[in-house]
Amino acid sequence: MAINLKVQLAPKNKRGLLLTNPVMTASGTFGYGMEYEHLFDIQKLGAIVCKGTTFEPREGNPQPRIVETASGMLNSIGWQNIGVEALIREKAPVWAKWQVPVIVNIAGKTVEEYGQLAARLDGVPGISGIEVNISCPNVKAGGVEFGADARSAAKVTAVVRKATALPVIMKLTPTTSDIVGIAKAVAEAGADVVCLINTLKGMAIDVKTRRPVLGNVFGGLSGPAIKPVALAMVYQVADAVDIPIIGCGGIATATDALEFIMAGATAVEIGTANFWNPRATLDILEGIEKFLRKEKIKDIRKLIGIARLKS
Amino acid sequence: MKQVASVISRNEEVIPGIFQTWLKAPELAKGARPGQFVMVRCGKDTVLRRPLSVHRLDGDKLALLFQVKGKGTKWLSHCQKGDKLDVFGLMGNGFKIAPRVKNLLLVAGGIGIAPLYYLAESALSAGKRVTLLLGAATAKQMYPVSLLPSGLEPVLATEDGSAGHKGMVTDLLPEYATSADQIFACGPLPMLRYMAIGQKKLGIKDKPSQISLEMRMGCGVGVCYGCTIRTKNGLKQVCKDGPVFSLDEVIWDDFIRC
Ligand SMILES: Cc1cc2nc3c(=O)[nH]c(=O)nc-3n(C[C@H](O)[C@H](O)[C@H](O)COP(=O)(O)OP(=O)(O)OC[C@H]3O[C@@H](n4cnc5c(N)ncnc54)[C@H](O)[C@@H]3O)c2cc1C
Ligand SMILES: Cc1cc2nc3c(=O)[nH]c(=O)nc-3n(C[C@H](O)[C@H](O)[C@H](O)COP(=O)(O)O)c2cc1C
Ligand code: FES
Repeated sequence: MAINLKVQLAPKNKRGLLLTNPVMTASGTFGYGMEYEHLFDIQKLGAIVCKGTTFEPREGNPQPRIVETASGMLNSIGWQNIGVEALIREKAPVWAKWQVPVIVNIAGKTVEEYGQLAARLDGVPGISGIEVNISCPNVKAGGVEFGADARSAAKVTAVVRKATALPVIMKLTPTTSDIVGIAKAVAEAGADVVCLINTLKGMAIDVKTRRPVLGNVFGGLSGPAIKPVALAMVYQVADAVDIPIIGCGGIATATDALEFIMAGATAVEIGTANFWNPRATLDILEGIEKFLRKEKIKDIRKLIGIARLKS
Repeated sequence: MKQVASVISRNEEVIPGIFQTWLKAPELAKGARPGQFVMVRCGKDTVLRRPLSVHRLDGDKLALLFQVKGKGTKWLSHCQKGDKLDVFGLMGNGFKIAPRVKNLLLVAGGIGIAPLYYLAESALSAGKRVTLLLGAATAKQMYPVSLLPSGLEPVLATEDGSAGHKGMVTDLLPEYATSADQIFACGPLPMLRYMAIGQKKLGIKDKPSQISLEMRMGCGVGVCYGCTIRTKNGLKQVCKDGPVFSLDEVIWDDFIRC
């Protein structure tokens, strides 16, 4: 039985963002893709989202930056990256030869900086889309403050939209009481896709030293622990917007991924699972295909949002 | 780098709280260099793999030596002969013995002996003279001298004086560094920082010294930036660019909180 796994993430965008399958990597957990090239055939993936990129190179936060928690982890990396110019010079030319589309995740200190980043990446060969991080809990200026309310989220979206013809994914924070309102606002402001969710703000304390474990005090919680939160948000937002959704948060198995798709996600991003299982993305892709075969479903798109109860 | 389903061929408690685990893992044993490490999945209840150094090699087998600290190492200590262990490696750059040196001085603080054992073995088989300064809190917590490679010259130190010199292992440096051409150290961060800050006093200022650093890790392959440190040569990933660094290169002031 021939099975269709292809999904279109940006149907309203001229260039579109057609993935051969819905399995993507989450920013910050898969580097620039090259690092995993020798481990498995990364060209089989739906898309690769690279590490969050800022205008200037950034050093990131003080150590320690990582703590394991119950069914998850906290990170406070804080945007350490090589900067957009090095990315264009060193990484994009490699991506240009790849089959798998690469999406560049960007983060700015100001609204203008988001626009400048998007403009700089526009038209660079090897880059198939932009994912806008307005949801990072690990930096003082920028990040989550833009994602926390609908008005500022829409403002960043509009600026990026104006600066590039590339498909634009807005990556939202779960740290809000109004995820639906924010998703609607960014969709109206011109986003092609919304990605739900980034990490949740959290912390850990070392009772022996009586100090916070992380050098930055707070970090972002990811991994299986956040899956139910992410799933609920995808489910809610799927009812409210008519642009595609990428589900992200705690996805570690094909079943997890299928839950997100059934809740309304068109594609999924895999993050923390890559750390304990470097082949997680491929395992999930193979698992989805197996499920479709077993259930005799010819097209993955038939499952998108299928779990949603009609009101 | 490979993700390997290795088989445990032996797991024993060498001294209380410290285990030696032999793995059948031909893909990893082949070409492993002293100072490199592996990322071990310590059971389904862990999210992050645990970094552990290559401790010994024997044909297609590789040994780990670890101290039970928390959830992951506790799980690993309960593994038995025949159990499968998911190991991802080899990571990192390893120690570099300069080709023409004769006398190596190794400094092991506690479980720091783990990677230095294999370094000592390699150096001895390359015809070097190897002195090992071996420190522990008490004689009971000391890696057994009888298990050390033959030909190695061990000098002991314990904090309570129950074996060898009473005090810190680094107290022995001024005496033994003079005849050393190259120094290799592994141990707790405070020990390494003490060596760096006290270089002059310890008589190691002009000695090329390499240290193996421990930092919390996410990926082990250089993508998550969880293990980043600042060095005099810019930012480095301990997993990919380390874990072995030159003592001089690291910016030690950054580790006051670690
Ligand atoms: C390159 C490298 C090589 C190492 N080699 C050895 C070795 O050969 N033998 C040995 O006994 N120990 C070694 N360590 C330290 C070892 O990784 C930790 O003791 C171990 O991860 C603790 O895990 P746990 O689950 O028992 O403790 P927990 O405290 O429950 O661990 C919680 C989290 O913190 C991390 N963590 C805790 N302590 C350390 C540490 N000191 N370094 C890095 N991460 C830590 C764990 O990996 C885990 O993600 C090495 C560390 C590094 C970085
Ligand atoms: C170590 C680490 C680094 C991350 N870096 C970024 C980043 O640079 N930009 C971003 O938008 N999200 C970043 N994230 C968030 C992930 O992309 C993802 O949204 C989140 O971890 C939830 O998914 P997961 O549970 O599958 O990991 C990072 C996550 C981790 C664990
Ligand atoms: S552990 Fe991820 S970069 Fe070193």
